[in-house]
Amino acid sequence: MTRYNHVTDDVVKKLVSICGEQYVTTSEPLRHSYMARGIMGLEAVLPEVIVRPADVEEVSQILVIANEHLIPVTPAAGGLSGGFALPAIEPGGIYMDMTRMNRLTVDTENRVMIVEPGVKSGDAWRIFKVKYPEWAPPIPDGAPPAATILGDAIERGFSLVTGVYGPQADMIMGLEVVLPTGDIFRTGSWALDGAKPFYRWGLGPNPDGLFLGSQGSMGIITKAAIKIVPHPHHKTVVAYGGQNWDDIIKPAWEISKHELGVAENTVMVQGGNWPLVMTRWPKSNVPTDYEFYKKLGISEYWMNYEIWAWSDEELEYVKKKIDETYKWYEEEAGTKCPQWKLHPKQVASRLKKPNKIAIPYSLWQAGFLFITWYTPWLESPAMMEEYCAKMEEYGFPPTMWVASIDHARQAIVMPILCFDSTEPGIYDKIREFNTETTRSFLKKGWLNYRPDPFVHAPETFSRAPNFYRMLVKFRKVLDPNLILHPGRLAIPWEAVTDMPSPLQGDGE
Amino acid sequence: MTSLEDLRRINARCIHCRACQYAYSGEPDRQGETEEYTGMLQGCPAGIYYGWEGYYNSGKQWIARAWLNGEIEPSQELLKVVEACTTCGMCETQCPNYINTVEVTEALRAAVIEAGVEPLPRHKIIGDRVHDEELRNPYNEPRNQRTAWYDGEVDRKDAKVAYFVGCTGSYRQQDIAKHTASILKKLGIDFTVMTQEVCCGSPILRTGQRDKFREVMEENLELFKDFDLLVFSCAGCYKTFRNDYPRFSGKPLPFKVRHTVELVYDLIKEGKLEIKKEYPKKVTWHDPCHSIRHVGLAIEKEILAQSDNWLIDSRKAEKAKEEHFEIPRVVLRAIPGLDLHEMYRIKGDSFCCGAGGGVKTQFPDMALAAAKERLREAASTGAEVLMTSCPFCVTNFTDGVKALREEQEATGEKKPGADLEVVELLQVLDELIE
Ligand SMILES: Cc1cc2nc3c(=O)[nH]c(=O)nc-3n(C[C@H](O)[C@H](O)[C@H](O)COP(=O)(O)OP(=O)(O)OC[C@H]3O[C@@H](n4cnc5c(N)ncnc54)[C@H](O)[C@@H]3O)c2cc1C
Ligand code: SF4
Ligand code: SF4
Repeated sequence: MTRYNHVTDDVVKKLVSICGEQYVTTSEPLRHSYMARGIMGLEAVLPEVIVRPADVEEVSQILVIANEHLIPVTPAAGGLSGGFALPAIEPGGIYMDMTRMNRLTVDTENRVMIVEPGVKSGDAWRIFKVKYPEWAPPIPDGAPPAATILGDAIERGFSLVTGVYGPQADMIMGLEVVLPTGDIFRTGSWALDGAKPFYRWGLGPNPDGLFLGSQGSMGIITKAAIKIVPHPHHKTVVAYGGQNWDDIIKPAWEISKHELGVAENTVMVQGGNWPLVMTRWPKSNVPTDYEFYKKLGISEYWMNYEIWAWSDEELEYVKKKIDETYKWYEEEAGTKCPQWKLHPKQVASRLKKPNKIAIPYSLWQAGFLFITWYTPWLESPAMMEEYCAKMEEYGFPPTMWVASIDHARQAIVMPILCFDSTEPGIYDKIREFNTETTRSFLKKGWLNYRPDPFVHAPETFSRAPNFYRMLVKFRKVLDPNLILHPGRLAIPWEAVTDMPSPLQGDGE
Repeated sequence: MTSLEDLRRINARCIHCRACQYAYSGEPDRQGETEEYTGMLQGCPAGIYYGWEGYYNSGKQWIARAWLNGEIEPSQELLKVVEACTTCGMCETQCPNYINTVEVTEALRAAVIEAGVEPLPRHKIIGDRVHDEELRNPYNEPRNQRTAWYDGEVDRKDAKVAYFVGCTGSYRQQDIAKHTASILKKLGIDFTVMTQEVCCGSPILRTGQRDKFREVMEENLELFKDFDLLVFSCAGCYKTFRNDYPRFSGKPLPFKVRHTVELVYDLIKEGKLEIKKEYPKKVTWHDPCHSIRHVGLAIEKEILAQSDNWLIDSRKAEKAKEEHFEIPRVVLRAIPGLDLHEMYRIKGDSFCCGAGGGVKTQFPDMALAAAKERLREAASTGAEVLMTSCPFCVTNFTDGVKALREEQEATGEKKPGADLEVVELLQVLDELIE
């Protein structure tokens, strides 16, 4: 088991000499102010020192110091993934708040922007609105405006055009990475001195994947070149209901699978069930019976299609085609999928990016957790069925959201676990729920893509020992002292779980 | 619901989404007049000044949680972080989880002090002065001089309306008190002022000195209990009476309360007042946090507190809040010749002048930085007059203008905002109402 050292006064002095007094603090209240337990991660440990580097050189120097002293480092961009962007195990070590690095440059000719970790979605949106109205930055679709574009890409998140372009990580054209040893390099064509980030596979084998999805435990990304997308201004949202999960998933597959034409226009395909509406309000101050929602015209299940087009005629054509598909499906499946008549205000609110739509799930009780999974698109109804049943069994409302990735190749399935964070024992209960569902889903081949270090990561890797072995090898090459974000990927294994390590017998 | 413990479940709603750091966090597409003022913008004076997460509300909510969970020790260091906040409530406007952000901050300050930490030096001084029976004001002025500015009959028992002057009107900005009394007279309101009035307690409540606050609150409630209506010229006193007294006394107020600008608004709406004199100037309006944002938010939360269906009633509540935000605008539009040019951040999303919550006295640099930022925004409208109705906003903006003029002189560089004339609306109303 790796032993980490605490941050000493000497280390703090060295950090101050790198970043300046103003940007280093050990203040107890300021350290607590970064905490969060919820959204994506429930477990979080208090950092010992916060640093706010200004540029890549400072990041590199901090990592050298951390290595020298064997101190763990956790990078954070917007910090909107809650506990997920905080140290997972003791000691908390150095927390790198990267919000000062917030430069953005845009190259419309090559359709790419370069962002530093601190570029927030809301800021990028404003800059594009004012300066590049014909282009859109692929910001996370439903995340609040303080989420960063880079943080979302690192998590391979869900952007406003993921329905067409794939997960956020697919938008990456090149990275600037600082390895835990302090070495700095770039990937893709960008690796060549003076070259633009125009070709992601670049000079040889591309290591991007090691840094996207490892949540900062392989290296720290200081810049990313990310595709920007055309931004037509003829937009709308249409929604269709259904009697069950199949009724929303199957027609969406019919619409998306051709990939061209109408499928290209439907940049965003997302839906859910009626508790998604209910649990945005306090449990004690909102009707909890479906009948009320039915009267409001809310279907038990529904799918939204956000359509972007170059003209109103094109918009109308896409709407007509979607409607025809639904009519065909209703007949084929012998079901009813009524179109939901959206009020113009509802359409406007759904088109708003970034937005605050997902924040109020805390009102239901006092706290919530998004648990995010990827499944093959047509398997998602089975997953949602099982998830909702388990949520109810555990006493959580069955709030479920689903969206298409890359023309309904994959589904992102996301239960929103609304809970009372002041209830004693609640975190144990959630862990138990997570463990039970994770075990069942992994057997079916479904993947958690923002893994909880204590449940999803060890459960997943113990079923993929060869992959884990490879991961550990890479990690040890890149980060010999395992100082980055320890625990996040269950490396070292014993730091997060009592389960038998997949490396047993490897001389570990 | 006054202690931090009472607010535990409300604080527990915070998911640390940081939306509360921005004005218009829910309107990223909002179109402004200029490139700079468009979309969502940073809106927390404390966070902008200090930069660390702990100075933003989002960070303070988690400091409060650490306190509630016994994970953090009481200390001056802690108090310094949580006191550096103007309690402006910009953050509260933004929170989709309806967290009473300012109540949490104020309760945390009180909890730290009640755990034995000395109030910060400047705050302690004002607390001690208000506590002193010979003074009962933060300005160290003799209590018996409180109504010296007033030449009418004081302590009238037969009047149904009292004008609560407040310490600033009584001792520092007496012209505002005089203008207000004059307006009331012109409006035909039969009122009195009371020699035994004491500080409303706002500055000591905001800074966490609650025992002392309770004393003055009780004295005021007792003194004014037989009046039908209390009228105010100070945004801070008004908010404290309207929003805080019922919370801390546990009882509804025994009288109605209205700010003088609201009285004028009522009469305009009822068609009983028409302003005929002109004010031919290009004006921009600054919403005082206390009388506009905080009262609007309270109106919204009062409606929700009565509702068993927030999904339906939240719209009604929001509408009522928005109607409150319109009040000064209705008054300004009723002034002939006044050419109103709104700033970008207004109403619930308004950017604080920087003075409130005990900041001006304890953290003057932060207060000045915020004033300058707001003056720059005011200047971007092309207005010649920055109008508001709050003694602290007027003072802090006046200091800001002075600082900008000095900078201008020192550097020879034009500083937007340096030419603005800072004007109290009550003064203008007194000059215009016949
Ligand atoms: C209400 C709500 C709604 C949301 N909706 C969506 C949505 O619709 N789509 C979506 O995709 N996401 C969504 N999210 C998740 C959110 O978008 C992401 O968590 C966010 O975009 C991540 O960005 P961040 O800047 O907050 O990252 P952080 O939380 O700061 O970081 C994310 C991860 O990357 C690591 N990291 C941060 N910076 C670096 C770096 N420079 N180098 C290496 N590692 C780093 C962190 O340690 C952490 O593990 C939502 C979150 C909330 C709270
Ligand atoms: S107070 Fe509200 S808006 Fe601010 S971080 Fe917490 S939940 Fe988000
Ligand atoms: S009340 Fe104002 S100063 Fe204080 S945290 Fe909120 S926005 Fe910032």
